[in-house]
Amino acid sequence: MSTIPRVSSGVAGEPAHFGSVLAHQPEIAESFFALYGRFWGSDVLSARIKEVARMRNARVTECGFCRNVRFDKALGQGLGEEVVDDITDGYETSARLTDAEKAALKFTDALIHDPDLLTGDARAALQRHLTPAQIAELGLGVTLFLALAKALITMGLEPEAMDRTVLPTPAVLEAAA
Amino acid sequence: MSAVCAALAGDPVLAAHYADFRGKTEAALAPALVALVALVRQAVAAVHGMGAAPEESALDEGTKLCLAYARRMPFEHTAITDAEAAAVVAHLGEAGFVAFSVLAALADAECRAALVGVAELAGVEANPTP
Repeated sequence: MSTIPRVSSGVAGEPAHFGSVLAHQPEIAESFFALYGRFWGSDVLSARIKEVARMRNARVTECGFCRNVRFDKALGQGLGEEVVDDITDGYETSARLTDAEKAALKFTDALIHDPDLLTGDARAALQRHLTPAQIAELGLGVTLFLALAKALITMGLEPEAMDRTVLPTPAVLEAAA
Repeated sequence: MSAVCAALAGDPVLAAHYADFRGKTEAALAPALVALVALVRQAVAAVHGMGAAPEESALDEGTKLCLAYARRMPFEHTAITDAEAAAVVAHLGEAGFVAFSVLAALADAECRAALVGVAELAGVEANPTP
């Protein structure tokens, strides 16, 4: 895995990172940030469950950038580091993760790794803990987390080192008055 | 329609945002590379066992190397080398490489979403192909 950017920054004076590289394609960037803001702004599925799924994706896809970013909305919903530490193999036995979060993690693993993980009891548990609308939102989220992590990695945008960084949760941008 | 779009039928605004993002990614490679968009989706789907691989005998070398790169996305994304990426950049340009990277990664994720049955789980009767 390369930590040397394979594409230059599209913003003068800024190093290559996901945002500055996406500036080469401003229409894609604008559409993505509108989508991501809408996704995180929706409360159909809690930000905490979305962040649990995002953390799992970060670990499985080996996205160091994703792994070190935290969104503040999920922190406000009690997703502390002691909980994040449990989002690893064996999460099924965690006493800190809720049953709904474990069901969401199984769905995440099935989508990003092996669809056969979501059969029988796991599928029933997902449908017991989440509504169809919540599963739809979770499906969108994991699709985006996975795709963007892989795009980031393959464009060589993995940081060599990065501290844990809390960022404002993406939000819908208000049109200028 | 992709499985993800179908799954979002209950939230038309979010569905429209997703369709717009998908469409903008596609449009960034069209019209000059409009054929590449479909070929990339087909090549990635074939890796997942979702249909036949594209027929490549009549394709130019640049398109072939893009497809070879896209086929690495599902299971070998961390093993793609700087040289492989540089070859795609040389063919598509930097802006094209950015759009292509998002397109190929999204194609992979959409296949996986279809395989896990996201639309059916979201209450949509049929789970469409990616």
